[in-house]
Amino acid sequence: MKGPHKNSSARGGKQAGCTACMLAFWFCGFVQAAAPEARLPDKHRAFLTKHCLSCHDSETQEGKVNLEDLSFRITTLEQAELWQKVLNALNAGEMPPEDELQPANAQKADFLDDLAHTMVAARMKLSDSGGKITLRRLNRREYQNTIKHLTGVSVDAGSLPTDGGSGTFDTVGTAQFISSDQFEQYLNLGRLAIDEAFERQAAQKEKPRVFRVEPETTVNVKSRADMAKMEEEYKRYLLWKAEVDKAALASENRKVMDKLRKKYPTLEEGSRVRLYQNANLLNGMPDAKEFGFRDANTADFSYRGGYGRKYAYMKHYAELPYSHRGTYLKLAWGIQRIDVTPNPKNLPSGKYILRMRAGVVEDSPSFRHFIEIGHPQRVNGVRAGFTGFPISSHQVTGTVEQPEVIETRLEVGLHSQLEFGIQERQPTDGKSLRDTFNRGKRDNGYGIPPAIWIDWVELEGPLPQAGDPSPLRTIFDKHADTTTNSVEDRTRAILTEFAHAALRRVKPDTAFIDKLLAIFEARRKAGETFEVAIRTPLSIILASPGFLYLNEPGNEVEQRQLNDRELAVRLAYFLWSAPPDKKLLDLAEQNQLHQPDFLRKQVDRLIADSRSDEFVSGFVHQWLDMERLDFFQFDVTLHREFDENTRAAARQEVYRSFAHLMRDHEAGQLSKLLKSDYIFINGLLATYYGLEGVTGDEFRKVKLPADSPRGGLLGMAAIHAMGSDGVKSSPVERGAWILRHLLNDPPPPAPPNVPQISRLEEQVLTTRERLLAHQEQAQCASCHRKIDPIGFALENFNAAGKWRTEDSYQLRDRRGRGVGKRKTWTIDASGAFHKGPAFSGYRELRDLIAKRENDFARGFIEHLIEYALGRPFGFTDEDLANDIVNSATSKQFAVSEFVHSLVQSKAFRTK
Amino acid sequence: MKKNQIQRRHFLRGTGALIALPTLESISFRRFASAAETAAATPPKRMVFLGLGFGVTQETWFPNVEQTGADYDLPEGHKPLSRHKNDFTIVQGCSNQFSNEAHWGSTFWLTGANRFAVPGQSMSNSISVDQVAAQQLGQDTRYASIQLKSSDGSASGHGPGLSLAWDGRGKPVAGFDNPVKVFHKLFSADDLPLEQRQAAIAENRSVLDAVLTEARRVQRGLTRTDTDKLNEYFQGIRDIETRLSKDEAWLEIPKAKSPIDEPAQGLKGQEEIKVMYDLIVAALQTDSTRVMTYRMPGQSLLQSMDITLSAHNVSHYSPGERMQASQSRDRTHSELLARLIDKLKATKEADGSSLFDHVALAFGSNISSIHYLTNCPTILTGGGANLKLGQHVVLPKDTPLSNVWLTMLKGMGIDAARHGDSTGVVKELQA
Repeated sequence: MKGPHKNSSARGGKQAGCTACMLAFWFCGFVQAAAPEARLPDKHRAFLTKHCLSCHDSETQEGKVNLEDLSFRITTLEQAELWQKVLNALNAGEMPPEDELQPANAQKADFLDDLAHTMVAARMKLSDSGGKITLRRLNRREYQNTIKHLTGVSVDAGSLPTDGGSGTFDTVGTAQFISSDQFEQYLNLGRLAIDEAFERQAAQKEKPRVFRVEPETTVNVKSRADMAKMEEEYKRYLLWKAEVDKAALASENRKVMDKLRKKYPTLEEGSRVRLYQNANLLNGMPDAKEFGFRDANTADFSYRGGYGRKYAYMKHYAELPYSHRGTYLKLAWGIQRIDVTPNPKNLPSGKYILRMRAGVVEDSPSFRHFIEIGHPQRVNGVRAGFTGFPISSHQVTGTVEQPEVIETRLEVGLHSQLEFGIQERQPTDGKSLRDTFNRGKRDNGYGIPPAIWIDWVELEGPLPQAGDPSPLRTIFDKHADTTTNSVEDRTRAILTEFAHAALRRVKPDTAFIDKLLAIFEARRKAGETFEVAIRTPLSIILASPGFLYLNEPGNEVEQRQLNDRELAVRLAYFLWSAPPDKKLLDLAEQNQLHQPDFLRKQVDRLIADSRSDEFVSGFVHQWLDMERLDFFQFDVTLHREFDENTRAAARQEVYRSFAHLMRDHEAGQLSKLLKSDYIFINGLLATYYGLEGVTGDEFRKVKLPADSPRGGLLGMAAIHAMGSDGVKSSPVERGAWILRHLLNDPPPPAPPNVPQISRLEEQVLTTRERLLAHQEQAQCASCHRKIDPIGFALENFNAAGKWRTEDSYQLRDRRGRGVGKRKTWTIDASGAFHKGPAFSGYRELRDLIAKRENDFARGFIEHLIEYALGRPFGFTDEDLANDIVNSATSKQFAVSEFVHSLVQSKAFRTK
Repeated sequence: MKKNQIQRRHFLRGTGALIALPTLESISFRRFASAAETAAATPPKRMVFLGLGFGVTQETWFPNVEQTGADYDLPEGHKPLSRHKNDFTIVQGCSNQFSNEAHWGSTFWLTGANRFAVPGQSMSNSISVDQVAAQQLGQDTRYASIQLKSSDGSASGHGPGLSLAWDGRGKPVAGFDNPVKVFHKLFSADDLPLEQRQAAIAENRSVLDAVLTEARRVQRGLTRTDTDKLNEYFQGIRDIETRLSKDEAWLEIPKAKSPIDEPAQGLKGQEEIKVMYDLIVAALQTDSTRVMTYRMPGQSLLQSMDITLSAHNVSHYSPGERMQASQSRDRTHSELLARLIDKLKATKEADGSSLFDHVALAFGSNISSIHYLTNCPTILTGGGANLKLGQHVVLPKDTPLSNVWLTMLKGMGIDAARHGDSTGVVKELQA
């Protein structure tokens, strides 16, 4: 995946759109990109002469560095290395040396700015693909989708290495690699999928069962038992405590008490915890064992960690109305989950429905009206949240008086955890709500007020398989007859046909099948049944190169047009991240697919199909550098609502918004990502954004109130969260992201060795005051004068994307606790682009950015080309990018039009 | 290589792996090595690299450059290492001249490569020093090398790569991020009868043969670039063949008994490092391998220390909260390293020497601190490479870090003419 400071998208030689000729272009194609090159503007020659050449000319060559003959046009790696050294030395502040004449700040910033961008262009030029599309293998996503297509089973491909990296998409062949470990992973995963497919088939013979949980018979019973135990312990504790209190007053203990007070200042302040914990030190104090406790510490904790902490909480919940026939979900303490734990034998592989009847407590805050489902986790036998993240979250729409039934689908596999849990939505670190609990307890005497009541939970399945059978199943069914053919013939037929499907309709070599057959026979001889023995060769097919690689023969001399089958494969992996379906392959077999009309129709069909969601998430995630969305655990005190459910929904908002535009041929303009009067949200996000009238888990298009700051990427929580560190917003990250992705003017990669300015750190300043330091030094200013002002304009969104008008700052200790005075200020979001224009705040900035749809479109298509062709976007692709932008301009930048133009282009259809 | 281990192997079942050896005695050259016919009089040499990702706190990690040699004050960041002061050397002044990526602390750390060295590619690398060592040291052990890593690589300043190791073609070598899996790889007995294991190896060979047949079909008509790409697949298959031959050679030699208990699942941060260090000692002690690298956690390390700041933010420390966090992270690393050295010293070889005497260990990163790629933090310890220990060595600025690696290789008795961009050995380090 792309890193935060990536190079590849930093494009040199940008073309300004020329609207007047756009319509004409498609016919005569006269819009030509100037031959792009990596050249440092000549105006900088004076800078070099003045500040460098007195030592680094061809004669002196101080440090063996000769800059006099160094060309301003970078065409070789050697030149690039030398220029890189110049850039590094200037950035590090090493050159010019302190005792030499120093350039003026602004002048140096300009020089650095241009040189850094020239270096980006040079690197791009020197690594240009020359129009070659390198053989590539299925990336992790495609592998998963392809296995699912062939076998009907979703495998967890998490054990495969992530693809992409160093700034490219996961579809780029040159950036991919394969290792022996990976080959073994393919064998393993293929085998898992095949086993699972057989397992599911077998499970189809079983009738669906319903497993029902009435929580008043599980959670409530256990809670009452816990309470009874606490009551009993509490009685013993009181007796013990009375003894401690008595002993503490005894004169024989005066010295001990003085010692304790000295050691534990809190005792002086009135807290007696340390006294009870150290009760064994008191003279005349009976042993805690006489009261049934192991020692003084245990006796003390029996109260502080038990009765004193949660008895009132549990009692309050137990006495709520409807507790006799359901349960209220707890947070922080007590039993927080309802577990669904049927006998594992009754959970064969397949799809299931999880259903529950639930309602919310009147007047509880709406952000708490959501449950989450996950796999229960136990730490040292104690129930503790979920293993990993929730599988899904659901809005509870009914009330306690009038509960409603919520339904969702779950998958059970051979190796999945065979238990489910339901709990109120909460941060992954369950402990983080303890502060909230304590605050609540101080207010109401028991803890966190209830929000959700559950009547019952049901798990039903396995459900009958729906939809078309997988190729694997179809092939087995076709050769199910064991009477007419020999085992060998049958096996050969099955292996040949499965290989044919796995190789995307390429005929496998007989020699390959022969060898697979031999492996099958060896297994049979070792005593395996047909059904088991055949799984080995089947999984080998799923690790073979013809399956793993999207291979297209070619030659060095000239490019050739793809045949229709190859085109079908490229198209399907572009728009579905999955293999072509029967329809596409049939069209290819009839040699029709390459005809522009057919191709156009198929692109429309593929886009309309839900499988293109895979393209949307795969492409958008990498295009917009969304990896960063998952970098940070959000601070629960500051951003309680930004839990994993919000994170997932925020991510979906970005994907859904793009998918909607792609599928809307009439009104799907790309620029709506910059600004729109609607939003894609579900109940959870609506609650998060404070928008009324949207309930349920489905995402839908909603018209925004006129005064809403939402609408477009700049209003999305995901984008703001990416521009933060989980605690504070980061104007730098946000500004750089906007330059990179919306304005197609990416800052060069963060340079190493730039001296950091730290002198403001321990001062209580506003964000703006703090970042002003960036302007003091040319090395920082060369980029930050462009980045920071844009970032400030988004300061009205906090780290988690909620709207705010005030911000504050307080020093924190190393554990993140606030210390000292807190400074609060009203946010000033005004500013100006470097070299103008100015904006008064977020809304004006958004309008200015929305006007630059040409730049946005240009950046978008460069990324789309890279993704679709699987080669780094390079100078080679300049013309193609121009052509597509021009063509899409005529359709008001409809997203689908970019896709059509790209697919129809020669580059997409040739090898 | 297992398609069928679900049915046939029972990794987790009664392996006896949980029985700890009564003493911490290395069994490296008892029957395992002798079976490989290398029964030497002296224990074998081993190499370990521990990569930090984001760097250290400049002000409190590096000793005063005025004080060199054995007589120097240990800075704050190393205080937990005081008891070992005579047994490690801190090196200053080294860097990888081609490194420009301010957030890549591990990608080129052990390779010294130039990312842009290959025209037409935006990313290339070359072999890492551990893999150079493994080519020789790995011949007589069950595993040529073992790579460990943490799962939080991208947020911890390591940069691209799957571990610290890069193979002979400059491709990333995979690493284990789960201590439990490492444990099983090292110590879980294969309780299948010999014939069945032989049959499994034979079948694996047939599998490779089959996919090679298919690879040859794919290869027909490919362009030269594509053929090169497909060669990675062929190379992968060849690597497995090599390993199968090795498996075969080791077939009748049981895996070593584990000197430690099976680690718990789900350890993060400090706990992960602790247990990975224990596994390193265990693997070396049992001579299961002689070369190990560990790309350590950064983000989760901070989390395990109750620090809520991101690793990147901490790396950009300046006086105050972030600097304190950076300093406590340094101290924690020093504590963990001190504990590792304790264990290496406490583990005795059969000739009475300690494992520590035969290990060459380097700890550090390509990133110094903040965005600085100069003066890569480097700690060298262990007697394996015959280095001068107990020293503070300040080398001329921008001495290639590869010179240090080359010096280690030579000290290990590995005949390497050069490594990465090395210009020679560091004489100051040679004992």
